Amino acid sequence: MQKTKIIAGIEIGTGKVSVLLGEIIEGKSLNIIGMGQCSSKGVVKGDIVDFHEANDCTHAAILAAENQAGVKIDGVYLAMSGTHIEGFASEASVNVTGADGMVTRGDLLQVCDVAQSRELPENRTVIHHLRRPYRLDGRCLNTPVGMEGEKLEVSYWTSHGDARKISDAIHIINGFNLHVDDIILSALASSSTVTTPEERKSGVLVIDLGRGTTDYALYNEGRCMIAGALPIGGDHISNDLSIGLRVRLKQAESLKLRFGSAVNESKDKSEKVWLNNDLEIGDRPVPLWSIEKIVELRATETFEVVKKRLGKLYSNDKLGAGIVLCGGGSNLPNVDRCAAKVFGTQARIGDNRSMASGELRDGQFSTPLGLLHYGLRYQGSRDVVNNEQGSGLFGKLKGLFQKG
Amino acid sequence: MEEQPKEIESIRIKVIGIGGAGTNMADRLMFDCPKEVSLTVMNTDQQALSGSPISDKFCVGKSVTYGLGTGGDLEVGREAARVDKARLETMVEGVDLLFLTVGLGGGTGTSIAPILADMANKNGTVVIAFAAMPFTIERAERASVAKHGLEALRDKCNAVIPLPNDLLIQETDPDASILDAFAKADAWIERAIKSIWSMMHRPGLINLDFSQLKLTFSRKAGKTLFGLGAGEGEDSAKLAVEDLKLCPLLHTPEFSKKADHLLVNIVGGAHLSISQVQHIMDSVTDEFGKDSNVVMGAVIDEQMGDKVEICVVGTSDVSGVSLMRGSQYKRAVSAVTSESHERTLKVTATSQKRNSRGSKSRKKPNSTEQHEFSFSDEDPKGEFENVSSTVIDGQDLDTPTYLRKGVKIVL
Repeated sequence: MQKTKIIAGIEIGTGKVSVLLGEIIEGKSLNIIGMGQCSSKGVVKGDIVDFHEANDCTHAAILAAENQAGVKIDGVYLAMSGTHIEGFASEASVNVTGADGMVTRGDLLQVCDVAQSRELPENRTVIHHLRRPYRLDGRCLNTPVGMEGEKLEVSYWTSHGDARKISDAIHIINGFNLHVDDIILSALASSSTVTTPEERKSGVLVIDLGRGTTDYALYNEGRCMIAGALPIGGDHISNDLSIGLRVRLKQAESLKLRFGSAVNESKDKSEKVWLNNDLEIGDRPVPLWSIEKIVELRATETFEVVKKRLGKLYSNDKLGAGIVLCGGGSNLPNVDRCAAKVFGTQARIGDNRSMASGELRDGQFSTPLGLLHYGLRYQGSRDVVNNEQGSGLFGKLKGLFQKG
Repeated sequence: MEEQPKEIESIRIKVIGIGGAGTNMADRLMFDCPKEVSLTVMNTDQQALSGSPISDKFCVGKSVTYGLGTGGDLEVGREAARVDKARLETMVEGVDLLFLTVGLGGGTGTSIAPILADMANKNGTVVIAFAAMPFTIERAERASVAKHGLEALRDKCNAVIPLPNDLLIQETDPDASILDAFAKADAWIERAIKSIWSMMHRPGLINLDFSQLKLTFSRKAGKTLFGLGAGEGEDSAKLAVEDLKLCPLLHTPEFSKKADHLLVNIVGGAHLSISQVQHIMDSVTDEFGKDSNVVMGAVIDEQMGDKVEICVVGTSDVSGVSLMRGSQYKRAVSAVTSESHERTLKVTATSQKRNSRGSKSRKKPNSTEQHEFSFSDEDPKGEFENVSSTVIDGQDLDTPTYLRKGVKIVL
């Protein structure tokens, strides 16, 4: 195996395609050496709806990154989001077989196998089997081997997506003559950037507010309990504004960026702002109250839907580190206050401080940075990853190719 | 029957309110209704029906429901229509233009309206249905019943105008009661029917007649827009145009730009001047597509005073109309064009109408050509109109939150 490997973290988002290049040295350290971005086309709500358009802008972004770094990419880590992402929880338990009641590695493997054996509906591909902490007679443990007990339980959150949509995305990367090493749920990638292992240990909810989707991941005891994507994003806010204020989508987008706020602060309903602010014909005053109200309602609802999706897994007691917001939507003023209000706990805007400096600290790079981070871990501890996450992309897509 | 005697040969317009909500809408029309329009209400619920001030009322399927309503059961509604088939048929007989007002989502209106529309259509009647769609805050189940009802209705009517209550509530005060909100929704239908009626009955600066209306409705239209605007005072024309542009039914300019055929009707008081009409037409065509084929009418109504009201109906050639519908469309259009040659533009002259009635559209074999109204499909979704929807707990989350929550947005 070569000593340096160039990996790329690619996110084909609704707003833009981001590519970050990382150099992994001896499988241990990561240097970020290149970046490419291109505003995205043919992607709606995180789904690729026009293959050619999405293909062109993705290739443009990869090319830009390669040119900047002056290297060739060895492998790609691709982020996944969109309307098709679903998931389910499955549980399994075994009686501890080891002599003197100690959990053996065999017990562990068996219980995991059973829990992962649930069949997927047709045309679905597993993206992750996310193991939650083990429970040994009710005790929450991460490494139960060697501990004493009777009943070993485990539950998994299986995240799966539409096989065709996933292969569409992979084909785009393959079309640039690159190999996809693995696909990673966007929410998982960004949470590894914006939260620390300590935060994930004490419990944290990461919400990535994208343009087409809102991705979320809930951590407890250092493990991801549930992760998913909600096909509601910043575009919905713009669309609501466009309909509510009877303005064009572009104007709505600009109003959102200039005056949007996730908490309605304007008391005076008659206060108005200019629609285009260019003093030309067609410009008209728009009530600030209406803008803020529309944005507030949508943002609040988005958080409410996320909360509903988390169901019983969500509890303020288990959320020591609160809520971390990232993605482009986290630049919306007061969005943290809005989230805090809905969830009844503290919320903050995340940044990529732990991983990057300069412009890469902006929330919009959380996902590609997380992908590189993931790639580093994958290189560094191949065996563990194999055991824990299934056998990479090939394993995930095996079923698909057999069908095809 | 209650319809007008045969010897008066004017275009016979009838409004039938079906079910509870439909009856309420028809009731509203009663107070300010031109006498040329005959009103009928029907319901399966005798008690609800007795509250209507309209004299021509009919309790459908008494032998089935004993006058107690359907209890939301569509099958009971259909059965009621079946037993009273003969009565329903005479009700729509000889009508040229039939407006149905119905609230979808319940038992009576949702089941009977498509049946009635089908009967009328077989006679060659132009059927325009105003269908109030339930509020999102009503149950999700109701929304799904309404959605299926709308599909059934579209299959049978020349045009269906769904009026989502969510959208219409935007016109009320933020703290209005639910009754006020319903009343406001009904008022929209009243304005729409009155405007179409006055198009054909009032003396005009520029006349529009039934055949032109018919032609607009019989184009192979995928999308149709419908908007109303009103203005009062010195600058009434200008204000009406501004109001029209902000009409919630035309919520995004992108929608209306798609119109290929526009029917614009302007109703104004005695002072309505040609220059005002000119201004309105210029602005309207500017706003809704310069290249579209525009048919316009300007009508004088003394009661309007210094008020001006604009009604815009637009259809577009971009369509999802199936091939089958396409062939029906051709037949329908040939029938209509031959008719329009025989007809003259003068609406008020009844003698001329008598001539044209000889070839009334009765001969039209089949006129189920279908139009979809884009301005307010069941839900306005704007940019997300053509992508798969995001439905969670029975709510389509692509529809703006403020609409679903019934929050009034001031403009």
